[in-house]
Order: sequence, then C-alpha cells, then structure tokens
Amino acid sequence: MQSTTQEFDVCVVGSGAAGGVMAKEFCEGGAKVILLEAGKQVDPSQFLSHMWPYELPYRGLRDEKQALFYQGDVRQSIRYEDSDQIGMDRIRVLGGRTVHWNAVTPRYAARDFREWSLAGVEEDWPLTYEDLTPYYERIEQMIGVCGHDDGLEIVPAGKHYLPPLPWRCSEVILKRALDTMGIPVISVRKAVLTKPYDGRPACHFCGHCMSGCDVSAVFSSATAMIPQAKATGNLTLRQNALAREILVDNEGRARAVSYFDTVSKQEKEVKARIVVLCAATIESARLMLNSRSPRHPNGIANSNDVVGRYLHGHLGKGSYFYLKELEGAKPFNQDGATDHVYIPRYNHLAGKKDYVGGWQIQVNFVSYMFPYQASKLPGYGPAFKAQVRRMQPALLFFGSFGKVLALPENRVTVDPHHLDADRIPIPVVRFRFGENDRAMWHDSDRSLLEISSRLKCQAFLDTDSPPGGFASHEVGTVRMGKNPKTSVLNSYCQAHEVKNLFVTDGSCFTTSAEKNPTLTIMALSLRAADYIKEQRRKGEL
Amino acid sequence: MDRRTALRIIALGAATPQLQLLKAAAHNHANLNIAWTPGEYKLQFFSEAENQMLDELTELIIPADSHSPGAHAAKVSLFADLMVATGEESEKSKWRNGLRMMGEEADRTSLAQALAKAAEHEEHPTTELEKFFTLLKQMAINGYYTSEIGIHQDLEYQGNTYLSEFPGCTPTP
Repeated sequence: MQSTTQEFDVCVVGSGAAGGVMAKEFCEGGAKVILLEAGKQVDPSQFLSHMWPYELPYRGLRDEKQALFYQGDVRQSIRYEDSDQIGMDRIRVLGGRTVHWNAVTPRYAARDFREWSLAGVEEDWPLTYEDLTPYYERIEQMIGVCGHDDGLEIVPAGKHYLPPLPWRCSEVILKRALDTMGIPVISVRKAVLTKPYDGRPACHFCGHCMSGCDVSAVFSSATAMIPQAKATGNLTLRQNALAREILVDNEGRARAVSYFDTVSKQEKEVKARIVVLCAATIESARLMLNSRSPRHPNGIANSNDVVGRYLHGHLGKGSYFYLKELEGAKPFNQDGATDHVYIPRYNHLAGKKDYVGGWQIQVNFVSYMFPYQASKLPGYGPAFKAQVRRMQPALLFFGSFGKVLALPENRVTVDPHHLDADRIPIPVVRFRFGENDRAMWHDSDRSLLEISSRLKCQAFLDTDSPPGGFASHEVGTVRMGKNPKTSVLNSYCQAHEVKNLFVTDGSCFTTSAEKNPTLTIMALSLRAADYIKEQRRKGEL
Repeated sequence: MDRRTALRIIALGAATPQLQLLKAAAHNHANLNIAWTPGEYKLQFFSEAENQMLDELTELIIPADSHSPGAHAAKVSLFADLMVATGEESEKSKWRNGLRMMGEEADRTSLAQALAKAAEHEEHPTTELEKFFTLLKQMAINGYYTSEIGIHQDLEYQGNTYLSEFPGCTPTP
C-alpha cells in the first residue's frame, strides 16, 4: 500500500453538496485539506445538456446526457433485497449530485425537527430550527438562491433572495384553481441565479438543469465551491479515489483513509487528524461498515449497530395535467429554469389526520420538448397526431414528494462476499414502506384528484401504481441524535464514539420532512465546520 | 449546437466567455459517437422486408398530414432497428414475433386492418398481437418526437435555446 508521509489537517470524503462546503470552509480557514472524490471532473464544456435528441446516440432515451456523471461501475455495484420499488441515486463525479439537479432549496420548518414532540413518531433532532437559522442564512448567500418571502411557517424564508423566477401561464392558471381551495402556491426557492452573482452568470432558461448547467448558473460544488477552496492553496484534490476504509489508531480514533485509485489500480492511504464523510447516504454508511478493526469490530463508530439503519427518503410521483385554456395555443418557449413555482405542504392546514407527515409538490420540472401525452392518449393516426400537437403547449406537471418515516429495520448493510469492480464490498439495501407512509400517500392521491377537478384539464394521474422512492433524496443511515444508544452522531455531526470522525451528508438526518434535503445538508455542514474550527482552536481536536 | 442556436446567442448579445464556452462545447462533441446517421444507416436487426412493414406501420400510427411529415419521413423504422439491435435480448423476440403476427394478419386482410385489430383493446391488451401494439406505438412515439421533423416541424418546439430573460405569462390569461 502506498502512503504519503504528509499528515493533513482534514480529509474530506466526497465532493458534493456537503463536501464542497467542508473543503471551502476549512481551506479558507487555513487548514490543509485533502479531498477524495471517487469520480473525476466533467468540465461544463463537456456537458451534453443542449444537444438535440437526434444528435445523441440513442436520442437521449438511454440517459446519455447524465451517464457521464455515473462513472465506473457505480450503477451496478449495489444490491436490493426484500425491498419495495425504490432506487438509490449514487453518483460518481466531482461535485456529486450538485452537478445535475433542479436545485430546489426549501428550508426545513421548526416543526420538521420535532416529530416526536409534536406527532409522537420517530425522534426529535438534537438541534432546532433556531440553531440552524444562521447557517441557512449564510449558505443561501453563499450559493445564491432565488425566491420570495411568503410568510409561511411551513417553509421559513431567508432574507437575501435573488429575484424570483417569472411564472408561466400554466402556473398562473394553477394559482387561480388552488386559491379556491386555500392551497398556497409560491415562487420556488432554488439555487439558480436570476441575475449574475458571485462571478457566475445568470440563468439562460434552457430547462436543462438536470443534465448539468453549462454556464454554472445552477449552483454546483464543482464550479462554485471547489475552485474557491483550490484558490487558497490549501486544497489537495484526489480524483478517481474511491475510499475503502477509515483506519484507526490504538485508541480507535481515525488516523487515515485508505482508498483505491481507480486509474492506477493501486491501494493508497492518506493520513489526517480529522476525517469528514460527505459521500452520501449509501456510500458513507458503506464506508463506515467496511471500516472494521479490533476497536470497531462492527464497523467504525457502530458498537450500537445503528450505522446503516433508518434508511429513508421521499415517496415520489408524477402527475400530468393538460389545461384546456392553453390547448391549441401557438407554440411558445416554456423551458425556463425547470420549477418556477412550488406548492408547500398543505395537508396540515385542514386539521389533524389519521397519519403523520405530508407532501410537497414541485411544479413543471420535466422537459417541454417531449410530448408525454402521446404515450397516454389512446388511438393512432391523423386525429391522434393532431391531438398530441394541440395538447403540447398545455402541460402542467406535478412532482409530489412525500415524507417517509425513519424505521430501524430499513437499512443498508455490506456484503463481504460481493465485491465491486475495485474489490470493495458492495452495499445491500432492504427497504419497505410502512403503514403511515401508505396512508399519507393515499391521501395525496385523493388531493391530486380534487385539484384535478378544479382545473379545466385532461389529467393523467398515476394513482394505481405501488408507492415508489426515493427521488434522489435518501437520508438517515448515520443519524444524529441526543441519545448515543440510538444514534451515531451528535448535533455537530460528530461521531459519539470517534471524536475526530464527522458525517455531514444526508445520512446524518434524524428524520426527513417532505422537503428537498440539500439546503439542510449544506447548512448542517457549515455548522459542523464552525464547530470543528472552534474545537481545533481549543486544542480539542 | 446548430446554426440556429448560434445565431440566437449572437442576436441576444450573450457574453463573450459564454459564446466561447459554447464553441468549445460544439468542438468537443464532434467526436461523440452518434450511431444514428439516417443517411448512411444500415439495418442491424430487421430484414429489409421487416423494415418495410415497420415503416408502413409507424406511418399509419403517425402519418404525414397537411401540418408536417410523418414517421416515414422521420425514418422511424431505422431508429427502431437501432434501438432493438442494441437493446435487451428479450425484446428482440417480441419484435420479431410481433411483426410476423402482423404480417400474417395483413395477408388475410391488409396492414391497416391488422393494425386496427392490434389496437382494438389498447387499454387492456390480452392477445400477443395487442401487446405488440403497445410496443410498436411507443417506439413510433419515441422515434418520431425525438426526430428533427417531430420536434421542429410537427411540435414547433421553441426552446433549447439561450434567453437573456424569461418572459413569463404576459399577458395573464
């Protein structure tokens, strides 16, 4: 095994939403940082976002635009056993999933941290909304978030939003209908620049956020965080470096990270005083479970067997409405910046339910290029073709995301007999939705039907399929908590059992609200970075 | 990126660095392996006779009309050949058998009547012929609406471009 003699102050594993914050904060604070990324950079000039389908090998129907972000065997090196219809979004590229995302960034509400106190389920987080507020404020300014303060308790607003995105006609029509039902619809808050900010240009409204933004108007760690970390001269970036194991000293403290260089095919090792895992919910848990030693026979920081448990994410579903008012309109450019408006959770407004939790609705984040109605309309021939054309300007799309409860039996483990291409044990996922999840989702279907009846439209709702997840929002496998017996981390994302090990990606979530997790991941990372810096000053770390 | 897009950027007066970035992107993509070049395309899976039938069937599903050309002009059958040839093994037999059944039915009546029979219970297909219709129609849709003809001439899609501002809904409907 190759090992450098240099000892770094911090080793950050993973370069996505959490890792980008960590690398930037520590480097700017003067620490010597090594950042391990299992994938390699794809320069925005290489993105295929603006390519027409007929310019792509398979018209884009085999995910050609995104495939370059899923490097190596990452899509194959996972196994699902005894699971409902779920999929994990594991990526391998510099910048992680911030390289291609819709960038919707709602804050969690105060109630979202207190499920046990308020609803008698799950556990309270070991921190409150008030603890996180200054970090939400800082991260929003750091990454640039557009939006508006609508004064809603369920989605607390920041103070420094860039101008909101203009509403499409379908969204204005939607608001008219929802107003009659008392359901709020607001300008979306997302990390898309509506004017130049922090040296990055404004959005050009091509709708390709999910294929990668070629000008970095959508926030990405790869273009907005890591270059700033590099500029300090304190960052050592190792790409194609797949972390295998956290190595410990005689006291069981992290001393180094071993990784596999996927290009040279060599096993290497880096020494660090502090190790921060930012590899996301599956990979961080996998890495910890693969880090067995005499001091940590069940995986690092896992004497209580909690690492890998409480895997959860979002229920997800798409609904298509074709608005009569817009049918047959002269074709116009509706691409925009994917979502422009957002329907915050609203089921709590109508009183107590016989289930816990709710759903949010992201609006209009699918492409306006392909006619989805063609696959849903019956028939064929001239009338079919003409009807597809008539309906094309009339699309209103809903993506519903629902809360799932964190349960210990839903988990990721590792299989020492099933190795990936780089000879590292793969993760094995077991997950079943619970009764509460199903009851909540059933109620969301009822609500979708009601909304549909208020819109003059032809609707294609998917109310028959079994529930599916996790919409790339998986969290929870290395949870934080007040009680070291039922959690792995304290409120600063620090392992109870290993003081110089931190985990700040989505795996640290105690519970999940219906909201997109990324902004909260970044705020928690900022808070953890502040804590680590302070502990270092005090000589505690 | 095509000439239309390039002209649009210039017309909108996009910043120079962005334009350079786009030129670089166009250059980098010159080596992208595009298996799909209809002009020179050689059948990889279907026979000439199968391709002929597929061409006629997809044109019946999405025909030329006074507004735009149909599946034949968009060469949807060649797209289908590429997708099936490079797709799952289990799909290949479905296509081979499906076209054979369609041919047998057409021998008794006509291709148009065979297609009508296959489409009879579209929402709840039971026979093999009816199940094949689902496959065939989706392929026609995928091929046609991702083609230049489908996107630009039929749907007159206005996007995939660079706007300096997004107009929003004006006037309010």
